[in-house]
Amino acid sequence: MIVDQAEALLDPVTHIEGFMLGCLIDASTGMVLASRNEQESISVPTAAAGAADIANVLTLLAGALPADGLEDVMVTFRSQLYLIRLVTQDAEPPILLLVILDRMRANLAMARHEIRNFCASMSA
Amino acid sequence: MSQTPRFTRARQLTASVLPGRRADGYPGAVSARMQKLAAARSTGMLPFSGRCDGAIYFRDGKVVYAASGRTPGPATLAEAALAGLSPLGQLTARLAVAEPSVDAALELLSSESRCAKFRADRLPHSDLAPSIGVDDLLAEVARRQRFLKQLSAVLTSDTAVARNPHIRSEAVRVSALQWALLIRVRHGSTPRDLAWELTRSVFGTTAEVYRLLALRLLYVAGHPARARGPLPGDAPDQDLPVMSFVRAVSPQKGDQMPLTVIGTALGAVD
Repeated sequence: MIVDQAEALLDPVTHIEGFMLGCLIDASTGMVLASRNEQESISVPTAAAGAADIANVLTLLAGALPADGLEDVMVTFRSQLYLIRLVTQDAEPPILLLVILDRMRANLAMARHEIRNFCASMSA
Repeated sequence: MSQTPRFTRARQLTASVLPGRRADGYPGAVSARMQKLAAARSTGMLPFSGRCDGAIYFRDGKVVYAASGRTPGPATLAEAALAGLSPLGQLTARLAVAEPSVDAALELLSSESRCAKFRADRLPHSDLAPSIGVDDLLAEVARRQRFLKQLSAVLTSDTAVARNPHIRSEAVRVSALQWALLIRVRHGSTPRDLAWELTRSVFGTTAEVYRLLALRLLYVAGHPARARGPLPGDAPDQDLPVMSFVRAVSPQKGDQMPLTVIGTALGAVD
């Protein structure tokens, strides 16, 4: 990893039911800052790059539509849930949290609540 | 007798000794040298000279600092200063120290600079320094090179840009950083100039300037056709090749990398 001692920050996220992968990404450069991966089959760089691309496209869209700042994105696949959240609205550079969950085991509402709490605790 | 034409042979020979000339596979040789230093857990400085002067510093085989004459240097920060910060504050502070080293390494490994003799035991005095594995650094540099290659048809770090003269400030919705860039752009500013002005990474600034091109808030100087003012409800500039971090990730053997232009799926290529 490029940034030291960042992996431990993700400990609370690993306790979310159905956790498969979590990572913190610098949205401006697409660089992975920290990651925890419990699923060998998921490539962290690819998942992180995808999250950064999604956030980038939605930010471009927000520049052209009367939408306020991006907060979070949920993507539903048949077997997985991808949750992407800006850790805070005002961090520079913007930091994204990506959490991938096993859809069979995860509770989306609870997971979203826990991710929101995690992001709040990161800034406190 | 050699079948290689004399001029080609002369170029091959001089490329390996003259600064500013790239020998075949030279970037690979630098990578291999860095990997050797990592394997030997070396401590010291690998100096570069030529088109871009600078150095990469190692401690116990890990990169702790990199500096280049063409990228802004890292923030100076003491480990003790992190104590009172939130976890996010600590993360961004560590990133502020690591990012300039990655940015400098990208410049040194991408330019036609040559590395000289490794000087053991020469380290910068720095309280808070990153400790980056050589393989991680090389992978990140390669990813950034692939990303910049996507943009290179339109924008490089040294392309002059200008502000769209038709911008109406009440219609502009941008981040604080994008605003800071917009107000600093003069006709002919390059992403590298702006990076120096804001003491930010050249790579990150280039990506941000590209986003501003897509939003039609900036245009490449000399291409006034792109300078039409953004109107409410306008989509991002569809003529610009889409910038994609996914396409910059190293493809695994057999992977299919998606090739898309905004709004139009073109299929997939190997």
